[in-house]
Amino acid sequence: MSYLPAAPAPPTRRALLRGAFGLGTAAALSACGGAGTTPRTSGDVTLGLWTHDPGYEAFFGKGVPEADRAGDFRYHLKVTRAGAPDIVTKLLAQAVAGRGTPDLVGFEIGSFPRMLRGDIAERLLHDFTPDIAAVPGLKEDLLPARTAPFSRDGRIYAFDSDTPMVVYFHRRDLFEKYGLPEDVGTWEEFADAGARVHRDHGASMCVVSTVGSDPGQVVQSFQMLLYQRGGAFFDADGTLVLDSPEAEEVLRFLCEGLRSGFVVEVSDYYGAGMQTALKTGRVIGLPMAIWYKNYGLVTNVPEQKGRWRVRALPRFAGGGGVTAALGGTGFGVVEGKANTRAATEFLFRTWLTHEGQVRRFTETGYLPTRRSVYEDARLGAYEDDFCGGQRLFGLYRSLLPDVPPFHQSPDQSILYDVLGGNLLRAYHGDLSPRQALKQTAADFRDQAGR
Amino acid sequence: MTTTVAGPPGTARARSATKGGARRRRRSWAPYLFISPFYLLYVLFMLVPVGVSLWLSLTEWVGLGPPRWVGLRNYRLLATDISFHRALANTGVFVLVALGLVVPLALLIAQALNTRGLRVRDLWRTAYFVPIVVSPILVALIFGLVFDRQFGLANAVLRALFGSGGVDWLGDPDLARVSIALVMLWRWTGYLTVFFLAGLQNVPRELYEAAALDGAGRLRTFTNVTLPALKPVTAFVVVTSFICAAQIFEEPYLLTGGGPAESTLSVTMFIYRAAFQRQQFGYAAAAAVVLFVLVFGLSRLFNRLLGIGRAAS
Repeated sequence: MSYLPAAPAPPTRRALLRGAFGLGTAAALSACGGAGTTPRTSGDVTLGLWTHDPGYEAFFGKGVPEADRAGDFRYHLKVTRAGAPDIVTKLLAQAVAGRGTPDLVGFEIGSFPRMLRGDIAERLLHDFTPDIAAVPGLKEDLLPARTAPFSRDGRIYAFDSDTPMVVYFHRRDLFEKYGLPEDVGTWEEFADAGARVHRDHGASMCVVSTVGSDPGQVVQSFQMLLYQRGGAFFDADGTLVLDSPEAEEVLRFLCEGLRSGFVVEVSDYYGAGMQTALKTGRVIGLPMAIWYKNYGLVTNVPEQKGRWRVRALPRFAGGGGVTAALGGTGFGVVEGKANTRAATEFLFRTWLTHEGQVRRFTETGYLPTRRSVYEDARLGAYEDDFCGGQRLFGLYRSLLPDVPPFHQSPDQSILYDVLGGNLLRAYHGDLSPRQALKQTAADFRDQAGR
Repeated sequence: MTTTVAGPPGTARARSATKGGARRRRRSWAPYLFISPFYLLYVLFMLVPVGVSLWLSLTEWVGLGPPRWVGLRNYRLLATDISFHRALANTGVFVLVALGLVVPLALLIAQALNTRGLRVRDLWRTAYFVPIVVSPILVALIFGLVFDRQFGLANAVLRALFGSGGVDWLGDPDLARVSIALVMLWRWTGYLTVFFLAGLQNVPRELYEAAALDGAGRLRTFTNVTLPALKPVTAFVVVTSFICAAQIFEEPYLLTGGGPAESTLSVTMFIYRAAFQRQQFGYAAAAAVVLFVLVFGLSRLFNRLLGIGRAAS
């Protein structure tokens, strides 16, 4: 018998690997531990705000005193700016990690469908429905067309920044010069006049984007007229309803317009091609959302200030309304955090108040999402310098009843990918409008739900 | 209880044996401790992610919450997914461009740069190497302007030379592939040239002198002396080019976004799209596993064909 304790055997490679794996797992698990979630009910609170747009950062920053006065919190903002798609990616990564999520997040409308996949929105975002119900009259005042993109199963997960109505921008000076009347009844009459203008002056009165690298932009050109005509991509349940007579009519209209020159292809709405087309008078009008004035016209052709005007879209002879909606950014609150209540109150006291919506328009140019705000005398008196002092709110008020809801689906990016390609084929004459839509529906069914 | 009594005669030996044992233990632990950082990192950042990807490919996961086990369903769906087939075919085209155009061109340029008496050789070498260090974002911006349908440089040149230049470089499915191939050619050729040039400079001069004495012409010298001497470098270049081309992402992503109509969609873009645009992480993982198996299998095949790692007989 030995007095010496038995020397432990040297660790085997397997034991070392096990140890390393154990350490790694422990480190990973400890990193996943969430922060405390005792809800804050008053006092100083620092809200983490994630947005892709500096305009929103400025808006919320200026809204802090107003929110402080209205409640028990003293707000501070910690803003993080990132690209619109990156915000969703980073949010999900932080949610998986269990820490580092923001309190208030801005979702660009095209990125929000990712939140609709599975139960992501339900798990991660605060449902505003009871909060809306608690404010008398708010539910009826909010435009359903603008809660639809950020809703699912009757729950509202974000509040839109805008009611981005689609209007017709046109060069008044060139319309007069080419003998085009200010008010044309239907798109069909408008297209006839457009074909003549193109033949005589080489100018076009409508635009489609053909930038192959951005299916979203290709789809937008079609989307605006489709929704105006009464068609849609998805219904409220997220079912594809694209393949419709309205869609075929609109696509045929655009394809024929391209042949006649009434419609012109541009590589993208914001790039050098469009700028040249606007500067040289090759494009003298286009249907687009109201925000395009700031992001497309003012930036590309500031020297044309005063020559542009805005009017309602002509109607389609077959039916539909006089506007559509395109774009938007919804602000949501991350659920289950200490600051969830504070962030919700902050949003309600800045984003949704009457004064907040007026201020949002004056500071960012985005239209109110509450019906009653359109009656505000200050907005009614607003004159747009770029549009020659035109008072636009009368027009916006008249379009309001026609703004169609835009329902989103988790499979929306699939639709944009397949529809973008087939629209280009139809524009180039490789597919008929009927074939393009049928092919889109078939491709979508093949890829959706995988 | 502890006692401190003089030990029996054997105690000193035992103490000495204890010290020796501790030393031996330390010695036996030491190598493992020294190499453990590598294995720890290897396990954490290589084996765990690969294992998790493999497991994820057998589940349906939206990126949050628990994944749902679906077995081989993702692989079955991939087998019938036209979009994935398109991505595989496009990637095949890019691989062919890399191996059939970029590598031979790099060899020819290296041969030219290796010419005796070439002036400002370093300048040429730098000029060919620069594209690979230019940021891909900048490359996309430059070539976006070059290939613009209405106002691009390519069409301007065509207009100046032939009077018409309405080529839709990035909007036509076939031409979009050609445009990506041209960017690959521009970006990668100079980089691979440097490897060939290094190989050429190591070919013994005596071999060329012997070939000249035997009356071999330029072509014969190239095929019988240069190419065999460059075999190890060529093997390396072919395999790395294949792996890079099979995982091509930046060029199509930045220039065409995989469009139009998925004509430039690569497999890595397909994976990215499934995971980060469609929240189909299980499906994306399955596609990644398929890509891994293909790249690994074909790389092994190239290794065997080109005799990489085998001593020259």
